Amino acid sequence: MADYEPVLLANIHKEGSHRLAVYEAGGGYRTLRRVLQERSPAGVIEVIRASNLRGRGGAGFPTGLKWSFLPADHPGPFYMCVNADESEPGTFCNRVQMELDPHQVIEGIILSCYATRANTAYIYLRYEYPLALERLETALAECRDKGYLGKNILGHDFSLDIHVHRGAGAYICGEETGLIESLEGKRAWPRIKPPFPAVEGLFRKPTVVNNVETLTCVLHILDRGADWFKSIGTPSDPKNPRDPGSYGPKLYGISGHVERPGLVELPLGVPCRELIEEHAGGLRQGRRAKAVVPGGLSTGVMTESELDIPLDFSGPLRVGCLGLGTAGVIVLDETYSMIDFLHNSCRFFAHESCGQCTPCREGTHWAVAMLQRIKAGRGRLKDLDLLLEIADNIGIIPGTTICGLADGAAWPIKTTLRKFREEFVDHIKQTNPGGYTAQSPPPAMALVHK
Amino acid sequence: MPTTERVLSDPIRTAIQAYYPRYPNRRAVLLPALHVVHEHLGHVPQQAVVEIAEMLELAPADVLDTLSFYGFFKQVEPMGRLRVWVCRSISCAACGGEDLLEYLCRRLGIRPGETTADGRVTLEFAECLGACEHAPAMLAGDTLYKKLTKEKIDDFLASLPS
Amino acid sequence: MTSDPVVLIDGRELELSPGERLNAIQAAERVGIQIPHYCWHPGLTVVGSCRMCLVEVGTRDAATGEISMMPKLIPGCNTPVRDGMVIVTNSEKVQQARAMVEEDLLLRHPIDCPICDKAGECLLQDYHFQYGRDERRADIRPFTSRRRDIGDVTLFVDRCVMCSRCVRFCREISGTNELMVVNRGAHEEIDVAPGFPLANNLSGNVVDLCPVGALGDKDFLYRQRVWYMRRHMGVCTGCATGCSIWVEENQDRIYRLKPRENPQVNRWWICNEGRYGYPHVHHDQRLAQPLRRDGQVPVDLDWTALPAELLERLRSAGRLAAVLSPYLSVEEAYLLATLVRGIDREARLVLGPVPVVGEDERFPNGFIISSEKCPNRRGVEEIIARFENGRITALDHFLPELADGQIAGVWFSGGYKNANWIEEEKARPLAAVKLLVVQDLFPSAISALATYELPAAAFAERDGSYVNRNDHLQSVRWAIRPPHGVRPEGTLYWEMLGRSGLYNAREVLREIAAEIPYFHAAGAGVPDVGLNLKVNSLAERT
Repeated sequence: MADYEPVLLANIHKEGSHRLAVYEAGGGYRTLRRVLQERSPAGVIEVIRASNLRGRGGAGFPTGLKWSFLPADHPGPFYMCVNADESEPGTFCNRVQMELDPHQVIEGIILSCYATRANTAYIYLRYEYPLALERLETALAECRDKGYLGKNILGHDFSLDIHVHRGAGAYICGEETGLIESLEGKRAWPRIKPPFPAVEGLFRKPTVVNNVETLTCVLHILDRGADWFKSIGTPSDPKNPRDPGSYGPKLYGISGHVERPGLVELPLGVPCRELIEEHAGGLRQGRRAKAVVPGGLSTGVMTESELDIPLDFSGPLRVGCLGLGTAGVIVLDETYSMIDFLHNSCRFFAHESCGQCTPCREGTHWAVAMLQRIKAGRGRLKDLDLLLEIADNIGIIPGTTICGLADGAAWPIKTTLRKFREEFVDHIKQTNPGGYTAQSPPPAMALVHK
Repeated sequence: MPTTERVLSDPIRTAIQAYYPRYPNRRAVLLPALHVVHEHLGHVPQQAVVEIAEMLELAPADVLDTLSFYGFFKQVEPMGRLRVWVCRSISCAACGGEDLLEYLCRRLGIRPGETTADGRVTLEFAECLGACEHAPAMLAGDTLYKKLTKEKIDDFLASLPS
Repeated sequence: MTSDPVVLIDGRELELSPGERLNAIQAAERVGIQIPHYCWHPGLTVVGSCRMCLVEVGTRDAATGEISMMPKLIPGCNTPVRDGMVIVTNSEKVQQARAMVEEDLLLRHPIDCPICDKAGECLLQDYHFQYGRDERRADIRPFTSRRRDIGDVTLFVDRCVMCSRCVRFCREISGTNELMVVNRGAHEEIDVAPGFPLANNLSGNVVDLCPVGALGDKDFLYRQRVWYMRRHMGVCTGCATGCSIWVEENQDRIYRLKPRENPQVNRWWICNEGRYGYPHVHHDQRLAQPLRRDGQVPVDLDWTALPAELLERLRSAGRLAAVLSPYLSVEEAYLLATLVRGIDREARLVLGPVPVVGEDERFPNGFIISSEKCPNRRGVEEIIARFENGRITALDHFLPELADGQIAGVWFSGGYKNANWIEEEKARPLAAVKLLVVQDLFPSAISALATYELPAAAFAERDGSYVNRNDHLQSVRWAIRPPHGVRPEGTLYWEMLGRSGLYNAREVLREIAAEIPYFHAAGAGVPDVGLNLKVNSLAERT
């Protein structure tokens, strides 16, 4: 692959990269000036649509399309919510962007608010990013002083305020409507859809929720053009008219059992194996990869033999994963127990389930209870069937839950049990020789008289 | 309505009121207000809940509903002077994070969620701190500790002001 | 070319009226199909969280008739039905989803059925039998079964299925926001803020809303199994709002009143005063024996001969008056007025005391608890107006007329719900009356003066109609038989008027409707939810 020159991470190694002076010296806010001067909000939306930019928060929904859902004639006000809640295990790219290049993020927000006619933007920032908070607040103050924010920005008929709204440690606040409910001061129970946020969102007004990285892509598309964006990545499948393709650069986070965990920016579609071998230094201690998560824990696992798939929006689907997700790659080597992996995953989702809808609230709880029992040496082969049954039936894909947390909870279960079933069977047989064939739970009285 | 001494001092109230212009209604100020109170008092006691409700024109139940959802806000006792979060999500766990959490529990003599008797440290487990490239990671106050080891934990504990 | 929208549900066609807005649950009900649900309620906002109402939805091509179904399940509660929509509730997919939700809810639910009030009217039970699995597959045990006092009602914390109906009720209907959800995920519970218990005048409704036995009515708790009770349609006589109710009784003992759905009056709700307004019916201080006072000596009487004796005394008394209580039904007021005027053509007809307590209490969703604590002032006034050519005299203004002794006989109808409901000095003018017939529930300063003391019937023991503050008339039949010494008002007046057969309130109402224009609309029959006399008469005039 030809050397790719980073655009999103272009500034992060500069001394003082988070400061306005450094950002402007590198050409920062030049795009903002030009766009406000030369383009209308509708014109900006057109460029973004033409670029086929897809959201980087996990769902991969085409951004231009999402923006086009905003009602044409509505008295407003319109809102922009910047999803900086980044809580998907394995994901840290937004953090790096906000800590080391906050102005890039802000310029992207301002441009997107211009396009979506939002006059107030809230950055919903997870609590656990104190440095990002500090850097963003400082950068926002610099912007207000400079006139990039506030009333009549740069002399144009466009006013915008950006506020940072700090979260309190709940993964579900990364879900669009969960974020909105949390911002409104309520418990973060995602809303049923319809209505969608573009029609009825924050404070029941038209709202767009976008991920941090997506908004920085907006900036660069407006800077260099939609054609530039489409020259990078994986083109759409000519045989499938509904495939928007996987265009543009992507921030890939790699963590786990690799030599050089970290963040790297590459065109969408890098093969997973190449990412691990060439950009993360391969596996530690010369070991072999056993299981690799392609895009944050929700996406499930791939086996070593599946690592040649491209990490774009469609590649992971081909090996039964939920999708590209957040492109947070987690590498686990041959020494790691998949029972531990699945227990960790089920524990995470049970802890984070908002509890609103029955299948997720109870299903995730049941799953972790079973994994605990399996880990404790009292597992049954029947448990594997039950876990798969739960996983196959919860989520927005089958339609049984309100939001996609359940799908995220299900995919690790599905992929782990289907790809590593042997390991589970062996573990259960070895740790529970006397009871692994039981078809049903022990009678109630047996538990009471323990 | 119980008549007890007010716990939200004027500085706290002023800090909360500073958020009013940012939002179209008072209810949206709730999460920021909870953070303000939690930072100042180390927890959000019941009296604070009542006062926050008054300020924001909500019912106390509305405040508690939101507060208790997050599991972040201490309610009964103030947290320690330093709150230490040790990540237990998959990247950190795969790099030994859970064992290190156990080690820290033993060294401090408390379980996750608890505070040391001298009030210095509250220990918590965290779900994915978003610092996976530095696994195993720990957030102590506002400082991120990277690639944690037992030795680093020992050093960290030694560095704590008594 | 279709005119009205058509929806296909499990193969059955439903035609919608234009402009009608139904969700899939309501549409299915119209064609006799029940879509199970916990969290949806027509009176509350839609949350779609229980996931029990999941159905398959598709469209039918108007031209080809071809049906295409959506691949994923959709909650019926959040699906407004449209022309050409196809709903499937009986497919394998839907059945599996229901079984999953049932199993999920039972994972941690304490199987308290033997000690739970809700048994017999519990949705979790019902849906389990209809849609659930027949084996338990989960190890999760033992169950906790905590009980928590949260104010007006009691909460069995672990039985809760998190439908959030009770929380939404307190936010949207009573506007009091006492209830909340605490914690997250499987640790969620219902609770109240310390020091701020559930305490509002509509709080009892949350027990009706709770689909399981998590919320318990403190009054009803452990008193009766629901399958022993029969229920009868009734109307609350606590105030002039006149909520439709169910009277639930076993062997003539009322155990519970519940609101009856009435879109035009109370929708699904009832206030606590009305809900708990029945103990007086079985109070041991209730008058139970008709008697006559000869001087100071009370003589117990027998109902067999009493009506004739009363007639004779009335006829020979001279000038008469009748005090018509606002607790009387329209029919009873009419019969009493007819009876007394039949004996004395110039008999005075007076409106009995109307109890008013405080002010109307208004709730955000429009529910009003009237300050007028009787059910039928409106109807009784119209009866009086008819006989007195429009003149309605209140008791206070009438009592001075007794001073000159001209009025020799007064029939006082009561029905007031407690003893000593009137001050002694207010009642004193009646001492001057030679023949005072008092028909009431409890001893009072008035009954102490009575020549004839007749036990009255309680609201659940009579047939009749009431007109509420909005001119809405409802008709009810008796739900329980009265105590032995009581002859209900309607029955007594009917007999004394010499009418043959049993007291027939419907017949009386038809006569009233024919004779008094205000009641005209009721002549053709009264539906279960009643009808509005004003609206209907306006409709007729146009």
